[in-house]
Amino acid sequence: MPLIWLIAIILVLAAVGFVMGRTRAVASAGGDARIMHSLPSYYGWNVALTVITPAFGLLVLWLLVQPLWIENRVSAQLPEAAIAEDTTRSLVMTDVRRVAGGLQVLIDTGTMSEDDVSAMNTEDTDVRERLGDVGVALGSNVEPSVMAAAQSYREMTKRGSALMAVGVLLVALGGFAMAYILTNKDFRARNTVERGILLVLIAAASIAILTTLGLVLSMLFEARNFFAAHPWQDFFFGTKWAPDFRGNSELAILPLLWGTLYISLIALFVAVPVGLFAAIYLSEYATSRVRSVAKPAIEVLAGIPTIVYGLFALITVGPMLRDYFALPLGFGESSSSVMTAGLVMGVMLIPFVSSLSDDIINAVPQAMRDGSYGLGATQSETIRQVVVPAALPGIVGAILLAASRAIGETMIVVLGAGAAAAQFDRGLGELVNPFQAMTTVTVKIVSQLTGDTDFSSPETLVAFALGLSLFTITLGLNVLALWIVRRYREQYE
Amino acid sequence: MLNAKLTVSTVAIFAVSATAAAARDQVQVAGSSTVLPYASIVAEAFGENFDFPTPVVESGGSSAGLKRFCEGVGENTLDIANASRKIREGEVAACADAGVTDIIEVRIGYDGIVFASQINGPAFTAFTEDQWYMALAEQVYMDGELKANPFTMWNEIDPSLPATDIQAFIPGTKHGTREVFEEKVLLVGCEASGAMEGMMSAGLDEDAAEDACMSVRTDGRSVDIDGDYTETLARIDANSNGVGVFGLAFYENNTDKLKVATMSGVAPSTETISTGEYPVSRPLYFYIKAAHIGVIPGLKEFAQFFVADEIAGPDGPLAEYGLVSDPVLADTQMMIEAEETMGSGS
Amino acid sequence: MTDISTSDGAPRKGSLLQQDARTQKRNAAERRFQIYGIIAVSVAVLALIFLLSSIVRNGIGAFSQTFITLDVVLAEDKLDKTGNRDRDEMAKVSTFGYSPLIKAAIEDRIAAEGIEIEGLSKPADLISKQAAADLRDFVLANTDRVGDTVEFKFLASGRIDGYYKGRVTMASAELDRNISPEQLMLADALMEAGALERTFNWDFITAPDASENRPEASGLGVAILGSFYMMIVVLFLALPIGVAASIYLEEFAPKNRLTDLIEVNISNLAAVPSIVFGILGLAIFINFAGLPQSAPIVGGLVLTLMTLPTIIIATRASLKSVPPSIREAALGVGASKMQTVFHHVLPLAAPGILTGTIIGLAQALGETAPLLLIGMVAFVREYPAAPPEGFFDPASALPVQIYNWTTRSDPAFVERASGAIIVLLLFLLMMNLVAIILRRRFERRW
Repeated sequence: MPLIWLIAIILVLAAVGFVMGRTRAVASAGGDARIMHSLPSYYGWNVALTVITPAFGLLVLWLLVQPLWIENRVSAQLPEAAIAEDTTRSLVMTDVRRVAGGLQVLIDTGTMSEDDVSAMNTEDTDVRERLGDVGVALGSNVEPSVMAAAQSYREMTKRGSALMAVGVLLVALGGFAMAYILTNKDFRARNTVERGILLVLIAAASIAILTTLGLVLSMLFEARNFFAAHPWQDFFFGTKWAPDFRGNSELAILPLLWGTLYISLIALFVAVPVGLFAAIYLSEYATSRVRSVAKPAIEVLAGIPTIVYGLFALITVGPMLRDYFALPLGFGESSSSVMTAGLVMGVMLIPFVSSLSDDIINAVPQAMRDGSYGLGATQSETIRQVVVPAALPGIVGAILLAASRAIGETMIVVLGAGAAAAQFDRGLGELVNPFQAMTTVTVKIVSQLTGDTDFSSPETLVAFALGLSLFTITLGLNVLALWIVRRYREQYE
Repeated sequence: MLNAKLTVSTVAIFAVSATAAAARDQVQVAGSSTVLPYASIVAEAFGENFDFPTPVVESGGSSAGLKRFCEGVGENTLDIANASRKIREGEVAACADAGVTDIIEVRIGYDGIVFASQINGPAFTAFTEDQWYMALAEQVYMDGELKANPFTMWNEIDPSLPATDIQAFIPGTKHGTREVFEEKVLLVGCEASGAMEGMMSAGLDEDAAEDACMSVRTDGRSVDIDGDYTETLARIDANSNGVGVFGLAFYENNTDKLKVATMSGVAPSTETISTGEYPVSRPLYFYIKAAHIGVIPGLKEFAQFFVADEIAGPDGPLAEYGLVSDPVLADTQMMIEAEETMGSGS
Repeated sequence: MTDISTSDGAPRKGSLLQQDARTQKRNAAERRFQIYGIIAVSVAVLALIFLLSSIVRNGIGAFSQTFITLDVVLAEDKLDKTGNRDRDEMAKVSTFGYSPLIKAAIEDRIAAEGIEIEGLSKPADLISKQAAADLRDFVLANTDRVGDTVEFKFLASGRIDGYYKGRVTMASAELDRNISPEQLMLADALMEAGALERTFNWDFITAPDASENRPEASGLGVAILGSFYMMIVVLFLALPIGVAASIYLEEFAPKNRLTDLIEVNISNLAAVPSIVFGILGLAIFINFAGLPQSAPIVGGLVLTLMTLPTIIIATRASLKSVPPSIREAALGVGASKMQTVFHHVLPLAAPGILTGTIIGLAQALGETAPLLLIGMVAFVREYPAAPPEGFFDPASALPVQIYNWTTRSDPAFVERASGAIIVLLLFLLMMNLVAIILRRRFERRW
């Protein structure tokens, strides 16, 4: 039985359970919903969930365990001799799985009957050719031992699937019966259902934690290798970024960090005022027609691939800034500059600020505005002194999101600000010159990971150390932001 | 909503184990973005002419490709890693630690590195290595001492060069091309101009002198490009005085926008590079996981097809695209036929 | 807040009809404020118009393509030496064996039309290198046609196509190694004779990618499917998980250090460079869980993890903005906490959640870096199968295709990349449209 059918049957069973559970509960109360503990639909949900949860739980578990178990059994069955010198057991198993899959295809396409396939062996038939005919390509001819293993693999899989179907259906029916019997008007159905839902919510929230854990762990190991090969003092306190193929590179995070901060800051200087004013205008002043067009239009800005922005920076903005600002003002003659990348990135970030802020400003209760108008405030005064403070936590969230994107962006920086790190040894003037080329931590993480350097050398591994450091630094900034929000938040109502 | 979510996740897991049983059909290749165009040309032709599925060719750099190649042996690891440099000893060791011991090294040909500028720009038509050294070195050796590079115009270095600002777009430190550029242009130029000798006589040991020869100035006259040649081209478009470093194949596809300069009097072409007259080139490789041969369908056939005369030979589509074909291709073909791994045999 | 009374407490004097200095000042401030808003919106919209117009200008050409129609003699002595029309036997003739037929076909046509161009060499360069493969596929599918003369519509080469799109000119052809002015003249002559035509190019949307030698044959088919599969995974995982996590954190979680930690942690995840999620994906989904490489399911999972913070932050912000009075009212009439949230708070927060989801999906749809290490930044020519198996077949994605095309050396790919961006934006607009409709249904003020 195909799995999709099994799932469908369980779902149908759940649906039936919903209707029957509900009916039974209402009947037990004599049709009077008022004397029931919960609303009638909760009784239905209770039955449906009791059908689905254990049945699907078993299904999932079975599907995860069965291949492992069969793999182990079949693998153990392979004689030592079947594993040639230059290969491994797992590779032979790949072949076994491929042949087993091919045999199943032979049956599914109707080329051979079930019995023929079971009787098939490598001496009488050219299995490779046979399978090739139905589109299953094999890398080499099939060894008898592999064929035997494949046969039993197929058999076991078939038997396992049948057993699973029976088991899962039994569990589903059992759940059905139990929940159905428990159902009567005094059963605390709502509490049960709500407890179940709460568990799901908690599970969802913990995914974020698990992700962080995964991220840190996947970087930690390689970062440790980096610090084993490169002195940490140089990395954290050095002032020069100069990787070198021949080793003894200078890999310091500070120049990159400075570039990251500078570029993000300029980007936010563009995005926050523009985005915020756009949000205010759209939610407070604009007619609904304008709003319904302008808001999604601005959101499109977030969806334009960053390479388009990058080329825009490289071809248009960079040379323009150089010719009209940097050269006349004597700030240098580089066409890639912090300013270029910052301005262009700012444009990209506008929707992050505007769209989210707009929704949040929109959600500030009208009563607060009316109260302010009633006191004689003009609309702009109301916005500045009532609406924005009330929406502040959300707005800060939006700005943080924009800042996060700014830190994580690569393409715009590479094309707009170049790939050369900031130079601390050239003095403060060069360092704060916005028309100077600079680059960010993220750019270097990407380029060191995707370059041609030796992957076990510090030049590549530094990417992991950079990633981990950036992670820690942004964590600090986020803690700060949380504190600021708590401190200045204006809670109304 | 809850219901729907459960269904979705179950379907996902069902699908996971459903396909865990079916094995991978296509050859999986990853690595250097320099080799990518050649590998994809071959993959395409392979898919057209064989009954095997078209191999999947990923880019991502030699480093990432080799790293994933060395994750281990098995279906969800790579079969072939492309590299624009030889595999390093440390990498072979890391490979062996993960169980990848039998690796076949295949050299597919050479990549020429050329110096080109805007077609309507200043007349950069002939360079020598020492001019590049003088233009780009962090410190130059003049009048018996090392001092910060004073040159700002090309014609200050050599009156035959145009009187324009020095503005060079060279590959960033992530690119393998940078290594070749430093070793075959800057270092050679350093030696040719006598600076190397001077530095050593001034008391620097050989390593320090080499390092000094190959360190590039950071005052903005030399711009590192971490992107691809398309970025270099765009930068040259925006900057008429710029000179950029390109791959031969890239130049040959853009001869209407770029003009190429000779190096020490030799014009770059597939012929001059294969004879070794044009000095700046590098070999390109791919590495086959020998354990996967016979397990992944089409792996050996693909490797053989890659180095077949009709593909990688001097008249094949790879040469037409700009690959300098390997004069000893026949040896490579025999090596793949015999599945000769690194360290065994010659 | 504005002062209600003047400092001396005396009632203000003045006419209602005539504004005093302070009112004028306040009204001016009001107007200024409104103008700032208009400027801000215009800046954003102008930037959008500028970017979009440059994309459309560069990319619109990708949707049409030049074709050459020729009569090809399917010579038996070349294609089927045994003469018994055995497909397997005929498959041994590789695409290299088909090129001479095409070459002969165009030379015949030139002779038949009486076209004479001085200095013309290699007329077969007008035809795409894809032609031999197309012809071979046709012959192997119709083995009985060998020996016939078949009218066949071939792709013109990228340079010829570029000539009719204004990318290649006589002057540039003079310098171009891959095309000569004589060949362009030949193309003009063939155009006059009706052999050359430019039509809408469905293949751009449906065909798989092609190698660097044949930009004219490349299409977005595999990339669109790959992106579509990934978006399905992201939408079905990220939206429910994100909303569920936000509801828990905002409405149910006890306010303590742990919740703070989770909150900070989530906003921090939003700042993690996207390639790092690729490292995570490689470690967990491929090396640990054993999922295949280059598969949309892995891409979808990685992008889900990447977009979750965006969706959670947006959802939490909009849940926060639902006034407490709504909750209190619901609780007051006897709803449970869960009922309050699902029946009252969530619908009111829906517009914000949708916005967050759209921004998150847009970000996921446009990301290349996280796909790099899990093998989706790739040259893939085989279409993935239909779901659910298709989730496990190799595929590329739209942004990957765009990125790949922008790095290729043939200038024809620039146009292709811009065309692909147009397709990507259309995808995005469709998603936006759904969001707009839903948002309009939910949006309200109270």
